[in-house]
Formats: sequence, C-alpha cells, structure tokens
Amino acid sequence: MNIIITGLITGSMLALLSIGFSLIFGVARIVNIAHTAFYMIAGYGIYLLCVRLGMGPVPGMLISILSVTFLGLLAYTFLIDKIREHEAAVLIATIALAMIFQETMMLIFTGDYLTVSPLIEGYFSLFGVKIFNQQVLSFVVALLLMAILWMLLMKTRLGLAIRSIAEDREVANLMGMNDSRLAMIAMGISVALAGFTGAVIAPLMVLSPYMWMEPLIMMMAVVVLGGLGSIKGSFIASYILGFTEALVVFMIPKGAFLKGSVALIIMIVVLLLRPEGLFGVSFEEER
Amino acid sequence: MFTVGLHIKRIYTLIHEEVLVLPSRIIVALFFLTLLAIPLVNQNPYLIRVIILTSIFAILAASWDFLSGFTGQMNFGHALFFGIGAYTSALLNIHFHIPPWGCVPLGAAAAVLAGLLVGIPCLRLKRTYLALTTLAFPIILMGIVFALPDLTGGELGISGLKRLSNSLVGNYYIHVVLMLTLCSLMWKITDSHTGIIFHAIREDELAVKASGINTTRYKLLAFCLSGFFAGIAGGLYAHYMRIAGPSTLEVSMSFTVVIWGVFGGMATIYGPVAAVFILFPLLEFVRFWPEYRTLIFAAIVLMVLLYMPEGLAPWIRDKTEKECPRCKVKNIATRKTCRICSASLN
Amino acid sequence: MKRMSWIANVIISAFLVIMMVFPVWARTIKIGVIGPMNFVQGKGHWNGALMGAEEINARGGIQVGKEKMKIELVKADSNEFLSLTDATNAIERLITSDKVDFIVGGFRTEAVLAMQDIAMDYKKIFMSAGAAHPELCTRVAKDYSRYKYFFRVTPFNSSYLVRTSFAHMGYVGAILKKELQLPTVKVAIVAEKAVWVDPMITAAQSVIPKMGMQIVGTWRPSAVATDVTAELAAIQKSGANLIFTIFSSSVGIPFARQAGELKIPAVQVGINVEAQKNGFWEATKGMGNYVFTTNTYVRGVEYNNLTAPFVEAYYKRFGEVPTYTADTHTAIVEALVPSIEAVGSLDADKIVAHLENREYLVPSGKVKYEKDAQGRPTHDLTWGPGYLTSLGVQWQDGKLVGVWPNKWVAAPGTPEITYKGIVPYKIPPWMKK
Repeated sequence: MNIIITGLITGSMLALLSIGFSLIFGVARIVNIAHTAFYMIAGYGIYLLCVRLGMGPVPGMLISILSVTFLGLLAYTFLIDKIREHEAAVLIATIALAMIFQETMMLIFTGDYLTVSPLIEGYFSLFGVKIFNQQVLSFVVALLLMAILWMLLMKTRLGLAIRSIAEDREVANLMGMNDSRLAMIAMGISVALAGFTGAVIAPLMVLSPYMWMEPLIMMMAVVVLGGLGSIKGSFIASYILGFTEALVVFMIPKGAFLKGSVALIIMIVVLLLRPEGLFGVSFEEER
Repeated sequence: MFTVGLHIKRIYTLIHEEVLVLPSRIIVALFFLTLLAIPLVNQNPYLIRVIILTSIFAILAASWDFLSGFTGQMNFGHALFFGIGAYTSALLNIHFHIPPWGCVPLGAAAAVLAGLLVGIPCLRLKRTYLALTTLAFPIILMGIVFALPDLTGGELGISGLKRLSNSLVGNYYIHVVLMLTLCSLMWKITDSHTGIIFHAIREDELAVKASGINTTRYKLLAFCLSGFFAGIAGGLYAHYMRIAGPSTLEVSMSFTVVIWGVFGGMATIYGPVAAVFILFPLLEFVRFWPEYRTLIFAAIVLMVLLYMPEGLAPWIRDKTEKECPRCKVKNIATRKTCRICSASLN
Repeated sequence: MKRMSWIANVIISAFLVIMMVFPVWARTIKIGVIGPMNFVQGKGHWNGALMGAEEINARGGIQVGKEKMKIELVKADSNEFLSLTDATNAIERLITSDKVDFIVGGFRTEAVLAMQDIAMDYKKIFMSAGAAHPELCTRVAKDYSRYKYFFRVTPFNSSYLVRTSFAHMGYVGAILKKELQLPTVKVAIVAEKAVWVDPMITAAQSVIPKMGMQIVGTWRPSAVATDVTAELAAIQKSGANLIFTIFSSSVGIPFARQAGELKIPAVQVGINVEAQKNGFWEATKGMGNYVFTTNTYVRGVEYNNLTAPFVEAYYKRFGEVPTYTADTHTAIVEALVPSIEAVGSLDADKIVAHLENREYLVPSGKVKYEKDAQGRPTHDLTWGPGYLTSLGVQWQDGKLVGVWPNKWVAAPGTPEITYKGIVPYKIPPWMKK
C-alpha cells in the first residue's frame, strides 16, 4: 500500500518536470539541461518572497512562476535561439546556463539549506500511511496541468501548430507556421511548467544551489524511457519509474540510495529493446 | 660533414615551407616547444602541478572528441572511462603491488572493456537518446562503488597510491610527453583511413553502410579507443593525486569534459586540448575570487558559444586560414594567391 | 646641560622612530587556513582561526626565541565538497606560492587524505579540524618519519564517535523506558549511505542488544535525499520508539522535518550534523524540535574555564555558536603557539617533538595525544572523562541545550560526569499518551 501511494506521489513529481522537458524537445529539438535549474529558481523565488519578504504563498507562487517564465524566454531569445542549429552547442549552453543559475543562487542565498512552508500544512492518514497534504496537492496539480496541456495540444489551433512542428518542421514551415515563434511559445510553456513544479514541490524539499542535479538525472531517465518528444510517454514513464523508486526503498531499505541506479538500469534495458523509448517517435534522418 | 649539412638544410626547408606557412602549425610547434621548455625556466611546484593536471585532462578531452566529435556519438558519460581507469589502476597498485608503469595501461585496458560495454547498447540509439544513455553509466557505476565499500573504499576512495616518479621535473616530463605523444597519436588516427570513416559515420551513417563498410565495427572501435585513452588519463590522475575516489565518476566531470570538447571545437582533437589549456588554468587563476569562480567560467563558456558556436579552434582557424579552391591546400588568410598552385584565393 | 638634553632628545627620538619602524621589519608567521569557504564548515575554520590570530597578535605576537612575531593568516578555499583537484591545488599553492609555515583546516576525509600527503611532502605541520577518519592518524603511526607533521585538532576519531553515540542512546533509552513504561525499547537505525557509517552500523547491531534494546530495522537513505516519507512510513510501521540517526549531510534536515510533521512516535537520537547548526530550527520550520544530536559547543555549558570565554567571544563576534571546525582557534592558540614559544624557533621537527608530548587544556576539554597498541604516536585525540567527550544536545523549543553528559559514568570506576549547564532531556509530548 505504501508503495502504491509513494509511487504515485513520486511519479507525479517526475511527470510535472518531464513533460515540460519533453515538450521543448519535441517542438524545437532543444535539450534543455537547465530545465531543472529553472525549477530551482522558482523554489528560491518562493523562499525569497514568502519567507524573506513575507508575502502570502499564493501571490508568491504566481510571481515566482511568472518571473521564471520571463527569465526562460529571455534565455531563449538571447541565447538558445542564436545557436539552435548547432545541437551540441545548445546542450553545452544550457549546461553553462544551469551553472550560472546555480552560482547566482549560491551567491545570493549561500550554500545553507533552506525550506519553504507548504501551501497546505498538515497530513492525513490513508490506509495507515501518513501522507502530507502538500503531496496530495502536487498529485492533483500534476493531473490538472496534464489535463490542461492535453486540451491545449489537442483542441486548440496553437496546440495543432505545436504538434505539427514537432512532427515535421520543414513542412510546417512551408504551411505558414512561424517555427521560431512557436518554439518560443513552447519554451515559455515548458519553463512555466518547471516553475510550477518548483512552486508545488519546493515545500516538500530542501532548497540548495545544487538541487537541480538530482531531479535532472531522474527526469532524463523518464524522458528517454518514455520517448523523447512524446508527452504521453513521459507521463507514463514517470509513474513507472516512480513506482520503481518506491519499490527499491521498501524492498531494500539498506539499498535506498540505489534508487537512482535502478531507474537508470531499467531505462537502458528498455532502450536496448526499443531504441526510441516506449512511445517515442522515431525521427527520420533529416537530410 | 656533408650529410650533416644536408640534413640540416632539409630540416630548415621543412620548417620554412611546411611549418611556418600556416599560423595554426606555428602555434602547435610553439606549444610543443614551450611545454617542453618550461621546467628549464621556472620550477615553481604550483605551476608544475597545474600543467601536469592540465595535461592529464587534455588527454581526457581529446579522447572525448575522438569519440563524440568524430563519430558523432555524443558521450555524456565520459567520466565512466576516467573513473574505471583510475579505480582499476588504484586497485592493482594497492592489492597486487604492481608499479604505476604497469597499472596505468592495465587500467586503460579495463576502460576499453567498458567502452565495449557502453558501445554495444548504444549502437541502435540515435543522438540525444545516446547522449542521455551514456550519461547513465557513470551514475550506475557510482552506485555500485558505494554498494561495495570494502572493495572500492566507498566515498573515501582508494588512497596511498604511488606516484609515477618522485621528482617534480620527472613527473612533469612524463605527463607532458605522454600527453603530446598520445594526442598526436589520436590526431594521426583521425587523419588516416579510419579517421575518414569516422567522419563519414558522423555525417551520414546510412551512406557509409551502403558503401559496404561495417559501421558497427568502426563505431565500437571508436568507443574502445576513446576508452583506452581516457583510461590512461584516469590512471595517471589517480597516481598523481595518490587517491582514486568517486569524484572521478561524477556527472560534473562528464559535463566538464563535454564543455571542453565543444568549447574547443569538436572533431579536431587539438581543439579540446587547447580548450583545456585555456580553461583549466583560467579556473585556477580566478582563485582570488572564490565565490565567482564557477560563475566566471560558465559565463565565458556561454559567451564563446554565442559568438563561436563551432568552438574556439575552428573559429580561429577560419579567421586565419583560407582553403585554395583549386588544390585544396590551406593557406594563410592574408595571401591573395595559393602558395602551391597560384590560383587566386577569393 | 642644555646641550646634553639636546643630544639626549635626538637619541631618544631616533630610538623611538626605530622602535616604531621595527615591527615593519619583523617577520610574520604565516598560517594557512584551508577549508570549504563557501560552506559553514569552512567559515568556521576561518572565523576560529581569525579570532585566534587576533588574540595572539593583540598580546604582541608569538615569542620566537628573541623575536616577537605576529601571525598572518592566509585563506585558501579548498572547495573540497565539489572538487578534489581544487583542494589539492589549493594546498600546494598555499605552501609553494604563499609560503605558509603552518596549515590548519580541512574537512572532508577524501580531500584531507590527499592534502595530508602534499603537506607531508613539504614537511609542513598540518592540523586538521574536521575529518574524523582514523586512517589519517594510523598513517602517522605506520610511517612516523613522513607523517609526523600531522595532528588532529577535532573531532575525536569515528570509533570514539560511535562510543559516544551509544552512550547517548543508552541515556535516552533509559529515560524512555522509565517514563513511558516500555518493556523494551525498540530501535530503528537510520543512517545515510556513506562509507564512514558502515562500521558504526555493524557496531550498533552488536551493541544495541547488549544494552537491552531491540533493533527493529535498518534504513540507509541517500545522504542527499530530500524526501524520506517512504522510510518514515516503514519506520512507523515497525513500531520503533527510538530512531538512532547517523546523518552528516543534508538528509538530516528533511528527515527531522518530515518526522516532526508526521508526528512519528519515536525520538531521534544520534548524530545529525545539520541539527548542530543554528539554521536547523528555521530549516525544519520548528518541526525539528526534540531532536538530539552530538555537538561540541553550546551556550551555557562549560567543560572548563576556557569554554565560556571562547564560546561567548565567538558568539558576540560572529552571531552564532562555534561549530567544531572553529577549533582552528584551539589549533593556533592552545596547540601551536605555546609549542613554538617553548621551542623558541619555527623548526617543524622540534615543534612536533614538543607538541606530541604535551597535555593541555582547550575550550572543549583536555588534549592528550594517543599512542597505538604498539606504543607508536598517532597524533590522534584521547577520548574519555577528563579529556574530550563532546556533548549531547537537544533542540528544546527553538533553543539548543546541552543534555548529556548528565550523571554519566563511562565505565565502572571512572568518575561521574555532569558538566556545568546541563539540563534534563525532554520527551516529545506526542509520545506521552
């Protein structure tokens, strides 16, 4: 029972992060290593606004998310857009960007660990397992966001445009869709998602300038497992890996630190069998 | 007497017509000479130490480029080879008392096996999937290292290793000469038949397969050779620092190698070497601002990527050299006509 | 007469001028302080050393033979948490470019092992303040002529740390048994995954039953885990009353916080390095109340008459209680300076020979350097009543107070110890039904 609940909660957290990452990759072929770094900034933003400046949690969250989105768009326009053609350079640039964010946070907040109050305090018991209300909140928010994103992608014209760019960039361009503008919009959505995650999960975690590294690895495992570019794939894969993590912790308490390694091994095994991930779209070699 | 003079004249002609012609070759020649001459002028242990570490990392960066730049298989887990080389070499030294001269190549051999282990699953993967998968391997190994602390020393690593040489200058020359030799070797490989195939695999693997070449063999070869050189770097590192710890397997080490590679210019070998020689001492130099060090480093990398997205070395090369349209020989950019065939260089 | 006084004037003025200028010519003793300066441990290194150097300089400096020399500190950031290469580069630079005479500091064992090698290459006295691994000192015994320049300042090594934690656990276990009327105390061991912890767990698994308590499970979360609800759920299910914690890294915060939020019916006793810091209360949003951990200094508790002046002066200056890494102060003021003055020179060999035979008072107790079973010096710290014992501290409503040793008898026949300022231990209210 514990395993199921813990698995659901962890899965939702991973889902929130990986969907954003998957989106920007699918649309613009950008591997944004700084994705979790934006999540970190959102977390620190909330700390700054709610703890240091005494704002209420909800306005604090909103302002954080908006500023992080703005920051992401700035980064995109001035940095990533210029070098989009060189995939390798984009990768490194986002790594460097993440490092800059990390160092800036270190400078402003020092390396000490900080925490943020949850939006909904307290916990309750379900089948003998104690669950934080904030965890339930993150689960609900994850589902909600995914539903909204689904509607956006499937039912609106913007969503249609995004999907077509993801499928075939050149033809979409020929059909009159402005691919760089759409990439920017996708970037905005992606970063906003990361910011939202930070807002919702930060109270459950401890803030530190290095907190972006660990979720990054799990998130990449999720995204690769699910198939890059496939939102549905990321969603399902995050729950798979979330359950795996819970299983490892419960079955092998002495090996609780191995949860990362186990997740990665699963990812590699699946890739051996299906090189595009579970739901990945196999890209034709773009000649 | 006469033959000595002849040889001298030959060497002079060689230098005059082959080396001094292009700025890039001059830089390389100067680089070799300066590195070899430094201990004769200044023996500050700190400086020597920095150069030795830079050389070790230069071998590592070059080996990364060998794999990722040339065959296009972006390896985000290069720290794996580095760590395996380091740990194997350390274990052999401590448990079997093999002298460092023997341990380092054996460590490299272990890294070659690792190259196979990583290369085989990666054969079917493309680009980003490959990159992220390779990222996973060192992390898994790190988990294993922590799970077997009796063997690997856990987070303390294996300490008490012997250095390659006990003298300051001796160490310097060993490492620097090794670096120059290995990097030249790597460059020679890429300049050969095998190298052309590597280039081709990166550009269009399907066409290479269609030409009848067994790409699997060459891709695995790239992994193994890259692993070999990186393993040597790992072994050298472990013995120089006298400790082999999990810090050799960290994600940040993998990322740093990639940064060096891309910053310097992929598919060049000399690019990453130059990058390491610029960035690593820079990082040391900026020590007087301890809080800002990493920030400055990242900012510089970012700036360079904005203006020189192909890397530093290719950018310099493009600015200083032109290729003759007729005979395809490189000329210095200030010339108007080709030095060999006199075609006009516009 | 007037002429005489005129000449006297000139002579006296000249003399005064020379006296004023002379200190500029006087040599300084350079002491390098190396540590992770961006983190609390390194800040402790630097602050402690700074305070120590200023105290010595305020009384004129160190008397080295006929000269009085002042101390000049050189700060070096080892960045040891992030890069081993950086740490070794930093210490080599300290020795060769900055040309320091002595080095204090160091924290992470992996880094200190490497830094120790370098310091020994150059035969510089290196006093480490932070790494507890016994290997650092067994090296001294095994290869005395090379490693003799190394001394440990703090903490006492990890095998003593284990014994101290067991004493803490026994103390709290006895209180629980009495107040909650438990037939046996059930213990859950929760230790971060780290190599230095492994021998402690093995030892705990054999000692706890001998103490009359029962082990109900062992959990090993990652040292940097941020979410331990899974582990806590399992612990609660196991029925534990006491959680023996061994945390040195960030996991100490989420564990304490989540255990407090979920009101897990078990007390936390053991080692939780994050809980030693002032920021702990804020970081756990007060949920870390009643957490018990080891610590060296706490306001209000005195080991001897040196403790309060040190702790209060540090608190007044830096706004927080010194952590154990601030014992670089001890390294300078109580260890190095008296030995330098006694020997009358900066000769490292002579200072080492003098220092290793001294027994001297420090703000955290008394230092005596040990010898191993074969009588070889290890330069490691002696543990026990009358020497160094450290404290058991507990968070009580926002304040960190000392609760152990409270009528503690280390072994039959040894004196009972209670330091001045110790207060009783408190059980969390949600455990009392």
